Amino acid sequence: MKRTVIKRDGTEEPFRTQQIINAIFEIIQGLEVEDDYELVFLIMKELDLKVPERVTTEELDRLVLKAIEQLIPKHPVYDTLATRQLLKLINKGIDRRLDDFHDFLEQAFEQELLDERLKEFDLDLLAESLNFERDGLLGYFGLTTLNDRYLMKNRDQQVIEKPQWFFMRVAMGIGNSNEEIVKIYNKLSKLEYLHSTPTLFNSGTVTSQYSSCYVSVVDDSLDSIMDKARETAFLAKYAGGVGTDVTRIRATGSNIESLNAPSSGAIPFIKIFDTLVNSIQQGGRRRSSQVISMQPWHLDIDGFMDLRETTGNAYFRTPSLNTKLWMPDEMMRRIKEGEPIYLFDPGVCGELVDAIGDDFRKKYEKRIEQAEAGELEQFKKLDSQNFFKKYLFKLAKTGHPWLIFKDEHNRHNPCPEYSVINSSNLCTEISIPNRPDSTAVCTLASVNLSKHVNEAQDDIDWDKLEDTLEVMVRGLDNILDKNFYPSEAARRNTMDLRPLGIGMMGFAEALIDLDIAYDSEEAVILARKLGSFMREVAYRTSQELAEERGAFKHYQEMEEQGNPYDYEPRRNAVLLAIAPTASISIITGTTSSIDSYFSNLYSRDTLSGKHIVINRQLIEDLEEQGQWSDEMADTIKANNGSVQHIDELDGIIDKQLYKTAYEIHPKRQVDIAAAFQESIDQAVSKSLYIDEQLRDNMEEIYLYAWEKKLKSTYYCFIDKVVKGEKYTEKVNKRGSRKGFGASGSSADNGTPKKTDPVEEDKAELEAKAREKFGDEAVDQALEADANSCPTDPMLRRICPACE
Amino acid sequence: MPHKLIGRTSVRDNIKLSEDPSYPIFKELYEKQKKAVWFPEELNIQQDALDYHTLSEDEKDLFDTAVGYFCSSELLVQNVLVNSFFPLLTDPHAKMSFSTQLFMENIHSDFFEIVLQSFGMDREKMYDVAFDDPILRKKQSLIVDEIDKISYGRIDPNSLEGQKQILRAILLNNIILEGIFFYSSFAHFFALKDMAKMKNVVSGVELVLIDESLHLQNGIEAILIMLDENPEIVEDQEYVQEIRDVILEGTALEIEYVKHKFGDRTILGISYGELERYLKYITDRRLQELGFEQEFHINENPLRFLQKEDVKKLINFFEVSSTEYTNY
Ligand SMILES: [Fe+2]
Ligand SMILES: [Fe+2]
Repeated sequence: MKRTVIKRDGTEEPFRTQQIINAIFEIIQGLEVEDDYELVFLIMKELDLKVPERVTTEELDRLVLKAIEQLIPKHPVYDTLATRQLLKLINKGIDRRLDDFHDFLEQAFEQELLDERLKEFDLDLLAESLNFERDGLLGYFGLTTLNDRYLMKNRDQQVIEKPQWFFMRVAMGIGNSNEEIVKIYNKLSKLEYLHSTPTLFNSGTVTSQYSSCYVSVVDDSLDSIMDKARETAFLAKYAGGVGTDVTRIRATGSNIESLNAPSSGAIPFIKIFDTLVNSIQQGGRRRSSQVISMQPWHLDIDGFMDLRETTGNAYFRTPSLNTKLWMPDEMMRRIKEGEPIYLFDPGVCGELVDAIGDDFRKKYEKRIEQAEAGELEQFKKLDSQNFFKKYLFKLAKTGHPWLIFKDEHNRHNPCPEYSVINSSNLCTEISIPNRPDSTAVCTLASVNLSKHVNEAQDDIDWDKLEDTLEVMVRGLDNILDKNFYPSEAARRNTMDLRPLGIGMMGFAEALIDLDIAYDSEEAVILARKLGSFMREVAYRTSQELAEERGAFKHYQEMEEQGNPYDYEPRRNAVLLAIAPTASISIITGTTSSIDSYFSNLYSRDTLSGKHIVINRQLIEDLEEQGQWSDEMADTIKANNGSVQHIDELDGIIDKQLYKTAYEIHPKRQVDIAAAFQESIDQAVSKSLYIDEQLRDNMEEIYLYAWEKKLKSTYYCFIDKVVKGEKYTEKVNKRGSRKGFGASGSSADNGTPKKTDPVEEDKAELEAKAREKFGDEAVDQALEADANSCPTDPMLRRICPACE
Repeated sequence: MPHKLIGRTSVRDNIKLSEDPSYPIFKELYEKQKKAVWFPEELNIQQDALDYHTLSEDEKDLFDTAVGYFCSSELLVQNVLVNSFFPLLTDPHAKMSFSTQLFMENIHSDFFEIVLQSFGMDREKMYDVAFDDPILRKKQSLIVDEIDKISYGRIDPNSLEGQKQILRAILLNNIILEGIFFYSSFAHFFALKDMAKMKNVVSGVELVLIDESLHLQNGIEAILIMLDENPEIVEDQEYVQEIRDVILEGTALEIEYVKHKFGDRTILGISYGELERYLKYITDRRLQELGFEQEFHINENPLRFLQKEDVKKLINFFEVSSTEYTNY
């Protein structure tokens, strides 16, 4: 096949293999690889099938990238090569439009993309601080994600931001001085910590909305419901996730005094939010999202638990909303001890909404007495264990509602005088007092623990971690004053409490570096130590900040009222929150949050498409032991990414280190989260991964989570039982049956023929090539010079110029 | 006459389930299919509406044709099942397994119908594409013409000749249509997702794939059982050759189709060359599954991105519909 390349200016030239080979050698340069020819050969082999008869230069660049990308599961080196190729494409595109960092800023200011105030910084100094070598720290999935969604685009939707410019732009939107900006830039570009997605999107831009989460409270009035609908619309528009508590809305059948008619309950109002959220797309970059919470004593709780069912009346289904239960201790106790639970109407029993702990128990018991005495018009009595079973079934089936513990959140409320904590945010890590007139806001950043292991790999580099945490506290506190607040209620909460959310990612990766199995007591001990260290450093820094900038306003007000809190003045009411870090852990290329590796080989579905993720640490380990090969890769794939049942690895690597999420008992997962939670002042958002075989133990697992004093749980993943036919791996469905093989001529003799051309000598190869491509192509290949080399790998092997 | 999987039946027959089923595999396949049941409403297809409008002309054509092809083919599979061999199944567990397949085809029709509506696609054109497009028509005809020959009681299932014809019908439906033609279109969908396009629709297609791989197994099992029960069939060399030929004919038609679609360009980063090789790889698998020797000797799937379908999946829930929850 003769192939033609169409150049950017429209001229055409013959497709030259040698040019591409040279280009691939160029990106390999500087990499330590055993056999670079082998690499190039494999890539060319992939590419050959991809290149059509006519191809543009741009398309060709992309196809080279695709070809390399396909090989990523074979070895991490292809990940590096794909990253370099993608980087080359990004840079090429930008270089065509922009000369340098200054030029980028200029265009961005001109098009009113960046905040004018950034001009006040010493741009020369900042430009000099850029270090492009750090591009090499990014992995392919990370760079793809950056390129697709994070790097700034101009008004013509062309990417104009190189990765290092991106990190600098983010730093410029956070730091208050040149010095601070450089410090933040260095940390970010070394991937030592990252801010949450909205901050990365919007920092330094004209849309200076840095926050991830809002938590609002709906009151029991039409006014309040419509007010919160409006607020939700604006919060969602600016990329934050919204949590909303609806416990106060009166139940179905409750009397509305002004109309003297029965209410239709909370569910139809929740539907408003579903419609609203569905209609607001967050600039196409991330779906707008909301979670609705309800305390499970609400009379409408049954309908609430069905909101995410996929069948039934569409008016009572909310496919676009997330849901969660805001669960009081007293109800958990009743579930545990098998005592009945009662459901009430908040329109009548409003005192239950705000009550916490013992106070709640007393008020709840009093209502139960009334109910039993026939003094309450509306109530329901349920078998608590049935209720819990039914709930957990819903959780496993629909993924919702999540289970969050009201009293544990409130026990640690640093500002009870401000308000109780009315539920948590979308990702369940926020725990901030809020009220109908004060919407909690949280601005998050997470430290990448995998970049804080010391050189000897025998301990955390505590000094470095301390330094990072200090930069984070100061940076996040700066943000509060630069942030755009989509509603007055949101501004009020921040100005009163100045809450921060410092979290973590890369915990599991760091554990492997330290030779600690995730499924071990040692890991729990380290988790506890890390949590307490984070708290100590963050609080100390916040206290220092209070001296420089003043304590948070509500603290001062309490002091002025002669009713001071019994702790040292600090700048921020709360500082720590362990978020799921779904996107930013992809950018940094590490394990998410405090979770274990999901699997050693798995695919991840995101807005940037589907990516294969491999456990690089395992491969390095196997390589050191001389055990990494295509066959081993296939074996791991056949084992669904697990190494636990690969006997040949016994005694060769420490298999314990590489347990995957479903192989770690959920109770151990809870233990790790609980160890962090001891010191984290907000919450730890913990997804639980439950093996199908433990599905019957869900009650025990979730009771355990409550007893271990977790504040929040998050998604419950249950290993899926039915899987499709494997696409890239043969499965013997026939067994020993012969089928048509019992017949004579066309039968399968059992062993597939091997047709690997590597094993054939040249004469055979030539004969085969003649058969496959015809004499003309082969003769051409035999006489080829450097510019007319064939692309087909078979032909290339007989082409003298390719040798 | 010994009991066979396929035979003449009356409404009075086969209405008892046994604890010790004659064909335990169909009980197992029924259970598997039951666990796989899903509903289109679980997917947030609307989310892809913006995406749909940004597809290039080639991509859109590929997507539309694939959707249209499935729209009518899902119903075609039902017709074939019901009109040809379902009435001839003598085993209650086999009936349960195949009728669950029927139910799943409903879900698929429903799903593709919702896709069609969500993006305002041209209904008439969509449902007709499989017979209007000259090359797609060849594919459909291969199935339809043959099945017509045996529908409506035109054969005697108790004769050897009848058994052979039924086997051929199952082969055409469950192996060639569901196991080769469908698999070709699946790859087009997955290529879209690989390029981060139409992710929620493709999440649904992932579920369809799981189902279809179970249907494929229904077919393979039925055929292997029939061969076992009628050893005379494989003695008929000519018939065996015909069966092999018809599989290869299906492959040739599919290859012709992708050539016509992809021709001299790449769409979504994949080219005709890769797809041709992929189809040959799939065909080799199907041949071996039935006990034939491979035809093309391609042992590696050239569309490596499909590995992503083979490993555990982790979803960013806020971004993409999940296919990892179970209804059972
Ligand atoms: Fe189907
Ligand atoms: Fe099917």
